[in-house]
Amino acid sequence: MGVSYIPIARVGELAAGVMKEVDLGGRQVLLTFVEGKYFAFSKQCPHEEADLQSAGQLIDGTKLRCNNHGYCFDLKTGECLLPQGGPPLTVLPAEEKGEDVCIRLEW
Amino acid sequence: MSYDLLIRGGRVVDGSGLPSYVADVGVKGGKIVEVGRLNGTAARTIDAGGLAVSPGFIDHHTHLDAQMLWDPYGTCEPQHGITSVVMGNCGLSLAPVKKGDEDAIVKSFVRVEAIPRFALEQGVKWGWNSYGEYLDALEGKLGINVGGLVGHIAMRHNVMGEEAVERTATGKEVQQMRGLVWEAMEGGALGLSTNRNERHMREDGKPVASRLADDDELFALCDVLAEHNGGVIETILGRNKIEHFKFYHELAKRTQRPVLWQSLQHRWAEPNLWREQLDAVAPIFREGYQAYGLSHTVPLVRHFELKNCQVFDEFPTWKNLMFLPVEVRKQAFADGETRQKLRDDLANPAPTNFHRNWNIVRVEKVVKPENEKYNGKTIAELGAMRNQDPLDAFLDLALEEDLGTVFWNANNGGDIDAMGEILRSPYVLIGTSDAGAHVQFGADFGYCTILLGMWVRERQVMSLEQAVHKLTFHVASIFGLQDRGLLRPGYAADLAIFDPKTVNSHEPEWAHDYPAGSKRLIQRSVGMHYTIVNGTVIHEDSRMSGDLPGQVLRGPLYRQQKVAA
Repeated sequence: MGVSYIPIARVGELAAGVMKEVDLGGRQVLLTFVEGKYFAFSKQCPHEEADLQSAGQLIDGTKLRCNNHGYCFDLKTGECLLPQGGPPLTVLPAEEKGEDVCIRLEW
Repeated sequence: MSYDLLIRGGRVVDGSGLPSYVADVGVKGGKIVEVGRLNGTAARTIDAGGLAVSPGFIDHHTHLDAQMLWDPYGTCEPQHGITSVVMGNCGLSLAPVKKGDEDAIVKSFVRVEAIPRFALEQGVKWGWNSYGEYLDALEGKLGINVGGLVGHIAMRHNVMGEEAVERTATGKEVQQMRGLVWEAMEGGALGLSTNRNERHMREDGKPVASRLADDDELFALCDVLAEHNGGVIETILGRNKIEHFKFYHELAKRTQRPVLWQSLQHRWAEPNLWREQLDAVAPIFREGYQAYGLSHTVPLVRHFELKNCQVFDEFPTWKNLMFLPVEVRKQAFADGETRQKLRDDLANPAPTNFHRNWNIVRVEKVVKPENEKYNGKTIAELGAMRNQDPLDAFLDLALEEDLGTVFWNANNGGDIDAMGEILRSPYVLIGTSDAGAHVQFGADFGYCTILLGMWVRERQVMSLEQAVHKLTFHVASIFGLQDRGLLRPGYAADLAIFDPKTVNSHEPEWAHDYPAGSKRLIQRSVGMHYTIVNGTVIHEDSRMSGDLPGQVLRGPLYRQQKVAA
């Protein structure tokens, strides 16, 4: 059991709406900065594993649409908004710690 | 008799669902002319001993409308025994179109079907207006047979221009669209398709045009098919909950045409929905109307190692561990307290997409020779073999192998009993290959070979005869395809010759065969030895012949007009 903060970017490194790909424990994660906050989420769409780096589109602020089949997700919670009840997007808590943007992992 | 092609000694699975039998098949002039013990000479003879000989498969749910313009085979359809395809599904077709409206149609294809814009811009040489003219543009240039549905989206743009994505239609506009339906059916369309799925938007974020249609408009267009007694109605309405079946019932009853709805598959997140859907659709058929649910044969399979795995992301402790460095993750998996948290996560009764059933997850490939006895075993079986709780056996085996053990899981379509009932149901139309769509994200050309390999041979959920029937005559009957779907004298010589002992699909792979050499995913097969279209071998042991024997399959109203003329 423990808590880890894993730095994945420098604060201010990302322009608004840009998606940066990072490796986290062998998994590919996308980090983006919208509405003044950082959001980290799995690069793979939970529906049919489309690459969200190419298929993902930020819409209406903190929503992400996968342009493969149109599934939409809330970046704050991962909830699938369209279609409702669909598989959730894997989201990770991204926090600023000093000069770094870190992912907080607790187990 | 002298034949163009004689297929000797195969096991004829004729598409009717009747028991198969050993026979020779004689082909002449693109037709099957004789079936039985044949002694004539032939320009070419194929020894089909030990193989099955069936009608070619009919892929009724494709988006090959554009691809067929640059790829006469709809690659990789023939590699899987498919000899005929239907385009124009989900409200999307490339006709009718007025000059200047082309980009409105492209915008919808790009976003709804995830077809790269540059492929459409480079590959589609517009030169038609009506649906019949679009089909004319394909004549003589096809390696496989192609039929199509006229799409509601194109018709709306044709009549309303850009206002099609902004408002409901006036009565006059609906009448104009009705005229386009009739024109398309006269030109050879096999029916019409529409789309109200709330996820389906254009490239510019506007809803696809058919989403703006109210029920009156949709019914008015479908009435054209009813009035002329021909064609199918294909829908993607985002209405697959039980309360929506009244709509399908009303549409089927009003038009007395086959209605196709999407879609029906077992999912662990809603494990009983498929049965409720079949129960809801049964009364429609009992009353004498048709409302077929479309179902896929391809389970959503994940091959994973605990080195890199998203199967358990719905469970917080599991998820966080999967993003930790591997060495830390291994320590955590070995830790008793953490393992209890992992166990508690899985015991949480909140609905999830992961089934939490250790009878479904399997060991696919172990790393160490001494563990080979576990290959193919479910995790429940693994636990029994190791005298451990399944979760402990799962994690301990992975730890022993430095997290390199490959496991197999399927969420959607993973319940064998449920999938068996779905695939056998007479109310289900098998196949949503979506061929020609989502080309850089997936490839399901192999739904037929997967049905024959995974569901018939390996899981035995239905007989080979039933499966071939579902892929051939069942489809031909619903879509009104004349002289297709049966292996009988007088029928078109569209044939698949395959080995029932090996037939299956490979995993998708990348190819650079789209316009301008752009990449997409394709899918090859195994065990499909010959694919024959109108009597000509177009695919032989993974090689394409280069011949173009395909025909445009025109619908019943076109045929009636021809007869009348």
